Amino acid sequence: MEAAKVGVFIADCGGQISKVLDIEAITNFVKNIDGVAFVARNSEFWRGQGLQIIVEAVKNKKINRVVVAESIPKISELAITKAVEEAGLNPYLVEVLDLKNHCAWPHRDAPLEATEKAKALLLAAIEKAKLLEPIEKAEFPAVKSVLVIGGGIAGMQAAEDLAEMDFQVYLVEREPFLGGLAAMAGHFFPTDDCAVCIQSPDLKTISRTSRKCVYRSGFSEIPNLNILTNSRVVKLEGAPGNYKVTVERKPRYVNEKKCVACDLCASVCPVEVPDEYNAKLKTRKAIYINKPLIYPPVYVIDEEACKFHDCARCVEVCPAKAIELDQKPEKVTLNVGSIIVATGFKEYDPSVIKEYHYGEYPDVITHLELARMLDAFGPTNGVIIKPSDKKPAKRIVFIQCVGSRDRRWNPYCSSICCMISLKHAIMIKSAYPDADVTICYIDMRTAGRGYEKYYERARELGVKFVKGRPSEIVHDPSANTLIVEVEDELLRRLLELEADLVVLATAMVPSEDSKELAGILGLELDEDGFFKEYNAKLRPTETKRRGIFICGGATFPKDVPTTSIHSHSAALKAAKFLLHGRIVKDLKVAFVNEEYCSNCQICPVTCPYGAITLVPKENGHFVARVSALICEGCGICVGTCPVGAIELTHLRQNQIQTQIRALLSINGTSNPLILAISCSECGHTAVDSSGMSMMRYPANVRVLKVPCAGMVQVQHILEALKAGAQGVMIVGCKPDGCHYEVGSGKAQKKVEMAKMLLKAYGIEPERLEMFHLIYVEGDRFAEAARIMTENLKKLGPLRL
Amino acid sequence: MAAQERTSSDFTVEIKQTLGGESITRCYQCGTCASSCPVAKMTDRYNPREVIRLALLGQRENVLGSDTIWLCASCYQCQERCPQEVEIADVIYALRNIAIREGKVPKIYAEFAATLTRDGRLVSMSKFLEKKRIEYGLPPLKPTGVEAIRKILSATGFDKLPISGMKGEST
Amino acid sequence: MTSYALFLGCTIPARQPHYELSARKAMAKLGVELVDLEGVTCCAPPPVQSIDLETSLIVAAYNICLAEEADLNIVTLCTGCFESLAVANNILKENVMLRTRVNGVLSCLGKEFKGKKEVRHYLQVLLNDVGLNYLRRSVVKPLKSLRVAAFSGCHLLRPSKLLRFDDPERPRIFDTLIEALGAESVWYRNKLKCCGGLLRGYADDVALAIARDKIVNAAHAGADCIATLCPFCFLTLDLGQVLIKSTYKEEYDMPIIHYTELLSLSLGIDPKELALEFHKVKIDKVLDKIGLNLP
Repeated sequence: MEAAKVGVFIADCGGQISKVLDIEAITNFVKNIDGVAFVARNSEFWRGQGLQIIVEAVKNKKINRVVVAESIPKISELAITKAVEEAGLNPYLVEVLDLKNHCAWPHRDAPLEATEKAKALLLAAIEKAKLLEPIEKAEFPAVKSVLVIGGGIAGMQAAEDLAEMDFQVYLVEREPFLGGLAAMAGHFFPTDDCAVCIQSPDLKTISRTSRKCVYRSGFSEIPNLNILTNSRVVKLEGAPGNYKVTVERKPRYVNEKKCVACDLCASVCPVEVPDEYNAKLKTRKAIYINKPLIYPPVYVIDEEACKFHDCARCVEVCPAKAIELDQKPEKVTLNVGSIIVATGFKEYDPSVIKEYHYGEYPDVITHLELARMLDAFGPTNGVIIKPSDKKPAKRIVFIQCVGSRDRRWNPYCSSICCMISLKHAIMIKSAYPDADVTICYIDMRTAGRGYEKYYERARELGVKFVKGRPSEIVHDPSANTLIVEVEDELLRRLLELEADLVVLATAMVPSEDSKELAGILGLELDEDGFFKEYNAKLRPTETKRRGIFICGGATFPKDVPTTSIHSHSAALKAAKFLLHGRIVKDLKVAFVNEEYCSNCQICPVTCPYGAITLVPKENGHFVARVSALICEGCGICVGTCPVGAIELTHLRQNQIQTQIRALLSINGTSNPLILAISCSECGHTAVDSSGMSMMRYPANVRVLKVPCAGMVQVQHILEALKAGAQGVMIVGCKPDGCHYEVGSGKAQKKVEMAKMLLKAYGIEPERLEMFHLIYVEGDRFAEAARIMTENLKKLGPLRL
Repeated sequence: MAAQERTSSDFTVEIKQTLGGESITRCYQCGTCASSCPVAKMTDRYNPREVIRLALLGQRENVLGSDTIWLCASCYQCQERCPQEVEIADVIYALRNIAIREGKVPKIYAEFAATLTRDGRLVSMSKFLEKKRIEYGLPPLKPTGVEAIRKILSATGFDKLPISGMKGEST
Repeated sequence: MTSYALFLGCTIPARQPHYELSARKAMAKLGVELVDLEGVTCCAPPPVQSIDLETSLIVAAYNICLAEEADLNIVTLCTGCFESLAVANNILKENVMLRTRVNGVLSCLGKEFKGKKEVRHYLQVLLNDVGLNYLRRSVVKPLKSLRVAAFSGCHLLRPSKLLRFDDPERPRIFDTLIEALGAESVWYRNKLKCCGGLLRGYADDVALAIARDKIVNAAHAGADCIATLCPFCFLTLDLGQVLIKSTYKEEYDMPIIHYTELLSLSLGIDPKELALEFHKVKIDKVLDKIGLNLP
């Protein structure tokens, strides 16, 4: 490789630098550093004429490394690297430092000391620059097709969006029919219309002005959309952009293309089982269809229920010859670039809350069961009955927070149950004004546009609200009545509410196969079992797995409006990911020196993104290998590898070492030198903001930037102490806000371990401290730097 | 309940630091305890939700000075059903312990303390029963560890509690 | 032979010899040895816990130490003793900080809580050591057609997290053991609710109201008697009926019988040996029904 010729560009920031620092002395110092071929000064270098100076210097081939002292963090770096790249130099041969916010401003009271520190900062940047290597871009193919798992309201909307954007979409639904939980709900808030009503697709052939039932919307006829019902994902292989997904399809035993839904088969079927779709309030045959507004509009045979394959009465009677009892399960392999998980949630089984006797007293039901009753197409044709004796129910009590906000079962608020109860109470009171409806609640939560109006409407209709969570439901067998024992807290009086029907507003919990699916896809679940997003604030539908997205109730219980927003977001993210049919990525990644890899298997577990796998080598050995496509370049693996076999392309070990030595080679203060190793995320921005907001801290503190605090090795700490640091600060994100998930937490543990090690070496463990900061805590960085300095002064000089 | 007292969070902290009182701040006032409570069913002099509410509002005198905290039957039904796992019956113990330390001791509890210190037991043997035991062939009772219990009561400071009539001497 | 350290507590030996007699005789018949320990004290039940919770834990731990030294598990009759000792035993086994504090005090008595023994209730010994089958085979006088309102008392079940005796909302053990004697265990309202016994002496009116509710519900369900396990429940419901008569002018004549008495009777033990005169509400009705008339 060509010898390094470094160009150094020092911005004065409109005199802000020279006001404090002796910029002449600094320039002379830089000029004399080995390898420096060009030095320029200007007010600024990241735009306009200043940037042109850099471009000229690169173009004229005077230099092949660029070091810029600028003062607009991040933005200046992006502008400079882009210009340098356009000028023909690899953008990773650029090093940008900040003399204003990291030196001149925080040390403005001590210009001499600050000038010496500036020299050290520049020396470190120049020495690092000399070791920089070009980093190339890689291109990975991406299939423009998406798998959507879950055919409920979330999955259907995401599938529709993507199909209409010309992606091939596979919609995989576990059940034999689309619609999910929503289809069972009958009516919806806040639109008071049918649950099965969805937006007609945006096709030229079909009017988009209306919303129609799933089966009339034309949803199934969208080009590029392939619907696989009765199917589930069993295996995932490949990489983002190019997955191979194995889907297992259960036989339907009815040929979808032939069935005419004439119902003759069901009429002769001898098997009757409880109908799950109708919350078991009704029975259905072993061959059945979830009538009437459903997709696909064809029958299915419930394998479990149909135990008499020999009977075949349905086969004989079918006029379309659609029934094929010899269908076998099949496996389909799909090649997709991206995956969206939309598996929804389900009602919690409240029978564990024994004081409510669900499953024991037939007249204690859940909201879903009530919803089926309220549905004109439902098992009771819209009449509310007591399941125990089928008589009309006149006195109805709702109990909120059943299994929700309950540390024993599900600690979270399920968020939609208050609204469901209000909706159902209003429906009942509207249809049966003489019905006696009471809602027992802990807190009514009606956050959402128009939601409070439901609360108001319910009061208007005479729904009674009792603030208090019932302790028990008692059955009085003589009158076949339920008694709800509750305290009316506002009256401070114990009530015994007589009821014909008690409706439990149960918690909403993850779908049952969430855990299995998370295992197959390599996704994380949160403590409640819902799919965990990459970042709750800004990336709510992305996951740690690049290319896999989540939406709807699979992430937390949601109402339909929020589910819609969520699914469109996931669709957009998937589309953005696959838009160009290829994924282009800078190879700022980790790589393994296979010679040193000892097959200890730590790094694959450590990597928060699953980028590292073990690949077999000859004679039964395995070595770690990093997927450049998946790797985020955080360096946590580097910090964890016990034999130092992993390095980052964008921050090699020799670059770290040379910076440590350079930063500590000049003191210029009477204070003990401190090396602060900060992550490039919250940690470094806190240092930036400390300077930007004019905080003061002594110039003996020198900052070294690494991608993530999790990258820090004990070796780095020891090297700093050897190179003259009297103490080391590790500055990272908050452990639960780490931009690389686990890095800051791992760093904290490592610091604790290193402290013990230092103690064993006879070094005071107080010389090492970890700080967790966020951007706005610049004042806390300055304070930490001051306190650390004071503490080290008290400890006296380090004796190695 | 007595007149409104100035609210303060110090009392909550004090309760949380007393054995049994740790879980009090989890309470979100759902009232499950009140409707579970066999005592509250019979009398409006007691309501566990209200005791916790007043305690969380820092109404120290109102809580410790009234007879409410002594009306808990320690049946644990409320604790069993509390969705926030507030250990209500134990919180009541904590409140009683604090009241006792301040000399707010109901008569019956002073008697309990005195009997325990004197006999190492809460119920004393009568001559009649001693006779009956022999008559029915029950074995003679093994001696009670009175000295042991006195050492414990002394080590924990139980015997220094401001409870009138509590003496260490045998009768 | 299975052996247990019998923890009688304060009330039973001093007030309820019928409980002690029936309990001892039945176990002897079923082949379980009950050993009386020297130096036991009060178990430190709710009245002591109300004065100082930590002291009560230490007193309970001291008594458990005695059993540890004798290398025996503890069996209790009184559910109050069961609660004090089992809660202390389980808390101290789990909570190292508290155990250290407790052992700090116990060390001045030369004792240390080691957490090596179990605290069991009499019913658990019947269920696990004697066994349902053996129990059923040993019954010589089945309590046929006897309708029993089972009332275990609160502290056999709750706090369930620490007692781990039975499902606190759907307990089955006590009912199963009643049915093993040939009797019927009847459902009655508020079966699991407290008898109010612990309020006696502080708020007698409230305690009596609660006890009355209990008896009314059992009577309403057509029970022949209420079976108890706790001497306080017994006292509250048995003596309570005398007080109900004077206070409410109501007479229920509901026999209150300790389970061990029913057990002894079904095992063929002579009623004359059982000190049945200690019942305030006479139990002749029950004896009649099971065909054991007192001479």
